Amino acid sequence: MVASIIGVGQSAYVRHPQQGQTVHVFIRDAVVAALKDAGIDAGEVDGFAVTSHFSLRPDKATDLVWRLGLSVNWLLEDTNGGAAAVNMLGHAVRGIESGAASVILVVAGDATGLAGFAKSSLESSTATRDHVTPIGPVGANGRYALLTARQMKAYGLAKRDYGHVAIAQRQWAAGNPLAAYRTPLTMEEYLAAPMVADPLCRYDCVPVVAGAQAIVLAHPDRVPRGRAPVRVRNVRQCFNYDHQAGDGLHTGISTFADRFWSEAGVSPGDVDLASIYDDYPAMVLAQLDDLGLIPDHDLARYASREIGERRFPVNTWGGLLSAGQPGGPAGGLNGISEAVLQLQHRAGDRQVSDAELAVVTGYGLTMYRYGGAAGAAILERM
Amino acid sequence: MEKGLGIWRCVQCGTGFFPERFLCPECRSAEFSRDRVHQGVIEEITTIRHVIGQNEPKLVKVASVRTSDGQLVLAGLRSDLDEGHAVDLFEESRAAFAVKPGTSP
Repeated sequence: MVASIIGVGQSAYVRHPQQGQTVHVFIRDAVVAALKDAGIDAGEVDGFAVTSHFSLRPDKATDLVWRLGLSVNWLLEDTNGGAAAVNMLGHAVRGIESGAASVILVVAGDATGLAGFAKSSLESSTATRDHVTPIGPVGANGRYALLTARQMKAYGLAKRDYGHVAIAQRQWAAGNPLAAYRTPLTMEEYLAAPMVADPLCRYDCVPVVAGAQAIVLAHPDRVPRGRAPVRVRNVRQCFNYDHQAGDGLHTGISTFADRFWSEAGVSPGDVDLASIYDDYPAMVLAQLDDLGLIPDHDLARYASREIGERRFPVNTWGGLLSAGQPGGPAGGLNGISEAVLQLQHRAGDRQVSDAELAVVTGYGLTMYRYGGAAGAAILERM
Repeated sequence: MEKGLGIWRCVQCGTGFFPERFLCPECRSAEFSRDRVHQGVIEEITTIRHVIGQNEPKLVKVASVRTSDGQLVLAGLRSDLDEGHAVDLFEESRAAFAVKPGTSP
């Protein structure tokens, strides 16, 4: 059986969740929206995948299935941070293609609140808990500050080069009513912003929100009338690609990029837009380079021209940097959802003309110095 | 604080690791011995200036330090130093700290 994405749904994104706004509630809202969007009755769902890195515990996937009133034959709970959504997507495609399930809901969300997120990020792994957090509140910001400083030296980048990424994504966010921040951002404001961890300023760090995303996979003939299904043309993942022995300037995507494009029968120049996991601007450039989208590895030129001048659409919903990051995992799924909306020509004010092919990535699970999990998928309008 | 940083060295191929591994990715051996590295060189520095939930957090300097044995480790920086400077390594609560050579943290 052929698998395709036939519907997407998103809950509200909330900067400061109130009492009762648990991750279960946000996931419910996203699931209801996705099923409505796909025209699927909840009773037809026979597969379920979820990631909620920080806030679903102590519940597990089966608890959530129960609370959502579902009963399934195929189940997955993923814990691989910002790479979880692409990973779940790959498993869900194979789940449908193998006949293990016919309608799969893929869900991601978190609702930690700021304090909960800060606490969770200090204990995200034994390596972090034992060897990083005793130094102080290093968290992800401290580690990606060091990585960004290294990237600046290695590629001759200046602070304003990262500003192009943040500013362009804020421009895209203006067309997304669900984005947390939509007010235009200028280079002057970006360069004058308070430092969080040098060289990272406020606008280089994602705003943590509470919220959830959901997508529905099924045979393409289940897509609502008048709408194009979206096929997953290829998906690849890599975990612990370098044993944390490198410098973090490349991601696991670099290990499979050539095969990824060749298996799909397309090249980087064929894609119309990209949803790149943007926990930090430096990682946007690193993943684009790993994918082969940056000519001559000239990151500065690509940041200013292709991204800054919006010659190539990157993170058209505003990305995590402007739309918000629910924990970590949902950040991977909102990029996929956006690509689906674009390919179905339903992205409203931010629609990319004649979008037919998109590349999406996930990146994360900062084990010691940088992320050890990464994935990418090519989505195609059918 | 203890002088040097404790690392794990593969008994079979001699490669040193920090943090601990349970199988050597180089030779697949499961046997490791403990060792210590005492010096390194700073490759990058950051100062943590903003912490979620804290209005005026204490500034924390963190460095990526290449040890004399080759590992790139995260270390709390306890001296006023720059990239490229040599450091002595110390360990406290299982984390690495770096200071100007010949000084104490």
